[in-house]
Amino acid sequence: MSHESPAIDARLSFDVGEKPKPFRVEAELALDHGILILFGPSGAGKTLTLLALAGLVAVASGHVKVSGETLLDTVRGISLPTHRRRVGYVPQDQALFPFLDVAGNVSFGLPRALRTGPRALAWLDDLGIAHLAKARVDSLSGGERQRVALARALAVEPRLLLLDEPFASIDEESTEPLRELVRDVVRRHRIPAVLVTHDADEAVAMGDRMTRFARGKTVETGTPRTLLGREPAT
Amino acid sequence: MTADAVFPVVLSLRVATLALALIGPIGVALAFVQARARYRLRRLVDALILLPLVLPPSVLGFFLIVTFGRRGLLGGLLERAFGIRLVFTPAAAVIASAVVALPIVVKTVQPAIESVSADLEAVARTLGLSPSAVVLRVTLPAAWRGVLAGLVLGFARALGEFGATLMFAGNVPGRTNTMPLEIFTAYQTGDDARAGLYVGILTVLSLVIVLAANSASPRMLAR
Repeated sequence: MSHESPAIDARLSFDVGEKPKPFRVEAELALDHGILILFGPSGAGKTLTLLALAGLVAVASGHVKVSGETLLDTVRGISLPTHRRRVGYVPQDQALFPFLDVAGNVSFGLPRALRTGPRALAWLDDLGIAHLAKARVDSLSGGERQRVALARALAVEPRLLLLDEPFASIDEESTEPLRELVRDVVRRHRIPAVLVTHDADEAVAMGDRMTRFARGKTVETGTPRTLLGREPAT
Repeated sequence: MTADAVFPVVLSLRVATLALALIGPIGVALAFVQARARYRLRRLVDALILLPLVLPPSVLGFFLIVTFGRRGLLGGLLERAFGIRLVFTPAAAVIASAVVALPIVVKTVQPAIESVSADLEAVARTLGLSPSAVVLRVTLPAAWRGVLAGLVLGFARALGEFGATLMFAGNVPGRTNTMPLEIFTAYQTGDDARAGLYVGILTVLSLVIVLAANSASPRMLAR
């Protein structure tokens, strides 16, 4: 990781949905290091922006640079396909593979030879789920599922972590330890992260920077405390 | 059972197996395209896939003869280029069975693929899987029950095929007389015992197949 380059420098413009009235997203994102919060009400374009960063939604114009590496630059005709972007994605429902056990999920993105090796086990250990290695994913609690999804995303050593409302389906007791875990992992492994939320407390607890969305556009950027201090939680 | 009595059983199983080998991969691929791709002619392709299910078997048989017969579009070409004649051969029975089984395979597999969460596939792509690897390692394993049910039901349909086979493959004793055709012949000639034998075999086989398909895909078939 280059220390001179910002962790995230992105500008994205794209339409989704059917003509004649598609939904237009125009987003500008910047982060030096740590966690960037995408904040706003439901339907404001936060998740779509996350998907666009991962290359899962076609972008009409813009660029995405992560730690100096260009993933997308429409002017230069560069657009890495999703499977070459090395972004870790944790969707809101975790999307664990139901036909694999916990260890199978975590090692899913590793080359075949490494799937049964220590690398996946190390991540299970790091996220406190080593004892669940052979468990079926449908037997896990919300917090455990989230840890498995995180371990799976981190095991492939992504250059960027994308988290879509990661604590939305977690009971209150498990939320704080999991928040701490995410902050800790991001700090220790120096992986920049983008976290989508509409919860002001979560934004303040997790974010180093925050971008506020409204009707598909980024409307302001700053620290979560500054932005939310001026306009309290919705 | 005499060799003469066993022949229709073996032939039917062989024809249904080859028909499934022919349309299984095509059917699953078509189900995948129809489930995932959005293109201009999707509805028309959907209707064409369903057509063999709703057309009278004689119409299908006629189309097959027009296409693969000696003076047909493809049949003439095959005979001139390779000396291959299809009409009134076991291969014709395989093609007729494959055509009628295709819609069953596609229409059973398609909803199973549609029910696989797009998020699973999206996550797999971010984990470094190419689009084709996503199909093999995520979509098909997640939809395997529906795929298996589709193949099993397709086999059953191929096994029971009668009308199009009669027109296109004929009813040649010791060559193309599958069980359904043999039932018809035996009944026409008053040999009810022989007809009853194949009726029994086909009924038991079909029951076993439906039970297998049911247990593979309880949500789709069991009521």
